[in-house]
Amino acid sequence: MEVKFNLNGLDVVYHVKPGEYLLDSLRANGVKSVKKGCNASACGACTVLVDGKPTLSCSVLTASIEGKKVMTVESIQEEAAELSEYFAKEGADQCGYCSASLALVVHALKEENPHPTRQEITDYLVGNLCRCTGLQSQGNAVEKYLGGKK
Amino acid sequence: MKVNEYVRAASLKEAYSLKKSSPKNKILGGGLWLKKGNGEVDKLIDLSRLGLDQIKEEKDYVSVGAMVTQRAFETSLIIKKIGGGVLSDAVHQIMGPAFRNSATIGGSVYGKYGFSDVITALLGFKVDLVFYPEEVVSLDEYVKKPGFADGILTEVRIYKSSAKSFFKKVKMTALDYPILNVCVTKDKDYRIVVGSRPLVAYLCEGAMKYLNEGGKDVDQAVELATQELKLGDSMSAKGEYRSHLARVYLKRALEEVK
Repeated sequence: MEVKFNLNGLDVVYHVKPGEYLLDSLRANGVKSVKKGCNASACGACTVLVDGKPTLSCSVLTASIEGKKVMTVESIQEEAAELSEYFAKEGADQCGYCSASLALVVHALKEENPHPTRQEITDYLVGNLCRCTGLQSQGNAVEKYLGGKK
Repeated sequence: MKVNEYVRAASLKEAYSLKKSSPKNKILGGGLWLKKGNGEVDKLIDLSRLGLDQIKEEKDYVSVGAMVTQRAFETSLIIKKIGGGVLSDAVHQIMGPAFRNSATIGGSVYGKYGFSDVITALLGFKVDLVFYPEEVVSLDEYVKKPGFADGILTEVRIYKSSAKSFFKKVKMTALDYPILNVCVTKDKDYRIVVGSRPLVAYLCEGAMKYLNEGGKDVDQAVELATQELKLGDSMSAKGEYRSHLARVYLKRALEEVK
């Protein structure tokens, strides 16, 4: 079937199977920044933004995003690069597998709640697992990033 | 799960007609448990264009459309007013925001999942389920009846309440399924709910009757509740451990809301 949506500002048409998941469609079309982790709605590595909201692409059918706006990390490259400096400084980055999804989640958090408390940061990041560093250092990095401190 | 055809329903009438036409045709809720199922769906019916994603405040109840996401539900100021915000708190503890941005309230309720935090929390209140074409069933009845409704769940009606409320989800890690969940509310009457038994949530009617008829002894109420509860084993915990947890948290809950 044909699915039309907006990907990172460009209107695209994907030809997919009715039961195909967005993660697989994106990767099949060359968007490899979206990672396949658990493939079971648990790790968050596949997170993209659908109409601005963090969404697990491993668990959303591509057919269901007809007419919607999908953002991957390619659309926030400068912001992701800036955030990665905070991550590096706090030791919150190692293998990088979760980094793209985390950058998107932090972007969504900033849009939704520009001045979050530490608890709100933790609650927002909790669905994105990092097996290298854990959420503590990432929380520190995001807190400083959103607070504007290096 | 293999899906042969994806249909974006233009009306509830069309969706219902498709659902009725074959047992292999299924309604799509949030879709998060779809891939965990085996077998084949002939037509997967998408309700997302039917305006079922609204939360509205009516005179006596709050109307929650079946396609309202868990995230929209937990952040709704209307929902936060019910029972001191216990429903928001309960849903907030489910996975991360990306999960809750897809999972729907209708899907969570309709599926009668044993691990559901949504059902346990909602059972703490008077709730009606509205099915298309024309059936209204209380949530209390729905979870007791075997099987699933024939109609399409369109709305969850939560009757307004300023009950003192307690909700506890016992889990091993932040993103885990509950080992047990407990919701106790006290408005005019007590409502005592234990879920993830690992079966679907259960209203402890014996203990409720005791308290609602004037019983004052919390230990006696806990004893009655644990006697009527059927708690089983699962990969995460044995029934014996669940029974211990139920005693601890029911006592804590009853002392908190009394």
